[in-house]
Amino acid sequence: MKISNRRIIFWLLWIGISAQLFSVSFAKAADKENCLMCHKYRSNARIDETGKKRNFHVNEKLYNRSVHRNISCRDCHTYITKIPHDPVTQKVNCANQCHIRPPFAQEKFSHKKIIDLYNESAHGVKPDDPQVLKDALPNCKFCHLNPLYTKISEKRVAYKETLARCYNCHPESGVIMAYKHITHRLRKRTSRSSRKIVKLCTKCHGDNVLMKKLNVSKKALRAVDTYNRSVHGKLVRLGSQKAANCINCHASSALHDINKRDNKKATINKDNIMQVCRQCHKNADQMFINIAVHPEAVHSGNPIIKLVSISLGLGMYGSVLALVGLLLLETLGRRKDGARLLLKRGTIWYGKQKSKSPKNK
Amino acid sequence: MATTFETALKPFPLPAETEDEGYYTYVEEVGFIPRDIFKYVASDPMGDLQRFSTHIVIQHTLFFISFLVLASTGLPIYFSDVFWAPYVISFYGGIDIARLIHKIGAITMVITSMYHLLTIMGGTAIKIFRKEFDLKRTQIPRLKDLYDLIHDIKYFIGLEPYRPKMEKFMYKQKFHYIAVTYGTFVLTAAGSALLFPDIAAKLLPQTIGKILPPSMVGAQSFAAFFQDLARLMHADEAILALIVLAFWHWINVHFVPGRFPLQWAFLTGKITREHQIEEHFLEYLNNLKEIPEEREYMTRLLKEKGLGPLEEKPSKQKKCTLSDFPRIN
Ligand code: HEC
Ligand code: HEC
Ligand code: HEC
Ligand code: HEC
Ligand code: HEC
Ligand code: HEC
Ligand code: HEC
Repeated sequence: MKISNRRIIFWLLWIGISAQLFSVSFAKAADKENCLMCHKYRSNARIDETGKKRNFHVNEKLYNRSVHRNISCRDCHTYITKIPHDPVTQKVNCANQCHIRPPFAQEKFSHKKIIDLYNESAHGVKPDDPQVLKDALPNCKFCHLNPLYTKISEKRVAYKETLARCYNCHPESGVIMAYKHITHRLRKRTSRSSRKIVKLCTKCHGDNVLMKKLNVSKKALRAVDTYNRSVHGKLVRLGSQKAANCINCHASSALHDINKRDNKKATINKDNIMQVCRQCHKNADQMFINIAVHPEAVHSGNPIIKLVSISLGLGMYGSVLALVGLLLLETLGRRKDGARLLLKRGTIWYGKQKSKSPKNK
Repeated sequence: MATTFETALKPFPLPAETEDEGYYTYVEEVGFIPRDIFKYVASDPMGDLQRFSTHIVIQHTLFFISFLVLASTGLPIYFSDVFWAPYVISFYGGIDIARLIHKIGAITMVITSMYHLLTIMGGTAIKIFRKEFDLKRTQIPRLKDLYDLIHDIKYFIGLEPYRPKMEKFMYKQKFHYIAVTYGTFVLTAAGSALLFPDIAAKLLPQTIGKILPPSMVGAQSFAAFFQDLARLMHADEAILALIVLAFWHWINVHFVPGRFPLQWAFLTGKITREHQIEEHFLEYLNNLKEIPEEREYMTRLLKEKGLGPLEEKPSKQKKCTLSDFPRIN
């Protein structure tokens, strides 16, 4: 077989590019404080006083591919001041400023903007909330401690071609990350798959015991069940990236402005919901937005629908039973003509007559 | 193939022995046809007599394939929480591809339905034009079908000696045809609403919501009501259709005695002679009228058995009719 030179060059290039990509993804973390000296060991774990297993192992490879790879450990674990360090009693505060100064900005980086937004949302803790509610509300870490090793794929985007443009001015190694950082956010609302978002919100909103304790509205109590029953929910459960997940509808691109329906700022507020649906349903109008996206079971509510449902059910069982009954009757009835199920003889009339003649009484 | 079964032919007695009216049907130039002759005729399993035109065979094939594709992509979505659903979806290469395939299936089904409507309307028009149209040979239900059903049930439980003499389409087939027509209509309408909910909501004028009493359509607008209805109907109709097809149509057509491994009519468009005589006797008489070879065959067979045509024409009073010839003496 003849392999053209062009093809060989293509494969060599391809191997080269993928090797490049890998080398970038495993870039060294900013472990200036050398914390990994101890924390890279998998045996760095113990069972604590309450009998819970604790794992202090930090997987370097995974860490180096995480979003926080460029942040030094002590930017978050600020309370560690010496090495070897004292037993840790404090928690990480997501509002910390870190030592990274992002491009286009003067101050050091922090999540302040998101935290402000978040504190105003339905999930933010308000001073006069009862204690049960305070305990139940999610903090940043509840939603973000979930490991995010695999981002949803961007296979279908012709990204190598576009990226090549950046090499005109920037060195390859750095700009790939920058490019991904930007384009990924242009294309996708979230880095998690829709299924993972639903799983995240379900952890609390699907927990009926917890929600009952908080005295949420009936709609809110059944939100996950009803969503799962909807076509959006079914498609997402099967892995669709196109159907709406909770974040698509309940948050704007700020991602954390999840509010109650009657809040003017809520995306699901009557005044804003049309924009939400129009992300995907271009022709959404005033009529459309009334369609239930958290549909209740068909039997509750509308009497016509209930009637249709019942009659369809009756029709189904009725006709199936009647038809199968007729079929059995026919099969048995035709036996006296000699029609029996014999595998051998095929489609013709078979089976011996019982009587000698067709008509012999 | 046909000759293989010639041995099945056995002599049977002269018409004189029977007591039943209608046991023999006299057809001029052919002879006395006993009602249960179907047990003695030669039959090619692939079919002897034309029943469906090529158009119908193509339509059936398209409909059949698109139905299976639709059911196998739609059911896992509806039952998305059941363990087998993800496997079926991954078989199709992911949910978004399965959705696309579902839509292609739907379009195929709609086009097939249109094609079918065109052919039956065109065919009927041509028949009317040639003055060949016969209502009895169509799928249109008649009162006779009800009587046939009752007659048939009586036969099955032993109250009637023979099955009814039925037209080209018997009661079962007419029922099924209506069910499929209705089901396709509902599935298409509801499916369009699921596929283009925004357009459906636009098309449905708000006035409909105003005409119906608010308690009937619920507090929300008519669009919301209709969407709820579409969600319900689409799934329920589909499941109903699948169950009827799998548990009745297939068994009824292919698995019952006498038809067992397969009835090839859905590919060849031809029905076997014995089946035609057993369940579509009146259509068989039409065949005798229209197909010279068939007439020859039957004449030969009847002559062999001593049931050939009368030598002389019977007297005026004794004029034989096709459907109900009294026994001769
Ligand atoms: C000399 C080895 C060593 C070094 C260097 C080290 N650690 Fe640790 N670290 C440990 C051990 C051992 C534990 C487990 C302590 C325990 O059993 O409670 C631990 C526990 C922790 C914990 C979890 C404590 C808890 O109870 O939740 C954090 C957080 C932590 N280290 C952060 C750091 C950071 C950040 C650095 C770098 C500045 C660092 N460590 C450097 C040995 C080390
Ligand atoms: C973006 C902030 C951030 C950075 C950077 C960071 N951590 Fe953490 N780390 C956390 C949070 C949040 C927790 C959860 C415990 C808490 O809330 O204090 C945690 C927990 C830990 C624990 C305890 C795990 C357990 O099960 O309790 C260890 C050990 C640890 N980090 C080590 C490190 C090391 C080593 C590095 C540097 C390679 C590092 N961390 C960098 C935020 C960070
Ligand atoms: C014409 C040459 C050119 C091309 C092509 C180019 N850049 Fe730049 N880029 C620059 C210059 C010059 C700067 C510095 C501008 C400044 O700081 O005001 C810059 C700055 C940046 C920064 C901010 C870095 C920082 O630390 O401030 C990012 C991120 C970036 N480029 C990404 C990209 C990406 C991704 C592409 C490809 C889509 C790209 N650039 C293509 C010239 C280019
Ligand atoms: C209810 C769960 C939840 C809570 C609580 C939460 N977030 Fe998020 N956050 C999300 C989700 C979901 C995303 C989108 C994730 C993705 O891209 O996969 C996100 C994304 C982010 C992003 C990335 C934004 C972007 O544009 O890519 C940042 C930064 C962030 N969150 C910070 C925070 C901080 C800080 C807090 C605490 C005030 C917080 N989050 C609390 C759910 C939450
Ligand atoms: C840690 C548990 C937790 C997680 C995770 C969580 N929530 Fe919540 N959520 C709550 C609690 C508690 C409330 C407050 C209920 C109340 O105030 O009545 C709430 C309130 C809400 C409300 C307003 C409900 C109302 O009654 O009006 C919405 C909408 C909401 N969450 C959506 C989401 C979405 C979308 C996600 C996933 C990104 C999510 N939540 C994740 C606990 C959680
Ligand atoms: C297609 C958009 C959409 C999706 C997807 C969606 N919701 Fe909703 N959700 C709404 C709308 C609109 C409402 C307003 C209530 C209504 O009118 O039915 C709502 C209401 C709620 C409420 C009650 C809020 C209130 O103020 O009464 C909760 C809680 C909630 N959703 C949680 C979720 C969770 C959890 C998910 C994901 C599992 C989710 N939603 C997915 C659109 C959506
Ligand atoms: C992230 C995109 C997205 C958003 C946002 C979204 N949808 Fe959908 N929706 C879809 C997809 C995808 C389908 C599946 C349609 C198909 O199969 O072609 C769908 C289907 C539907 C259907 C038909 C199926 C059914 O459940 O009856 C309705 C109705 C619907 N959406 C209503 C809404 C409403 C109302 C909103 C706004 C609250 C909304 N959608 C927001 C993506 C979205």
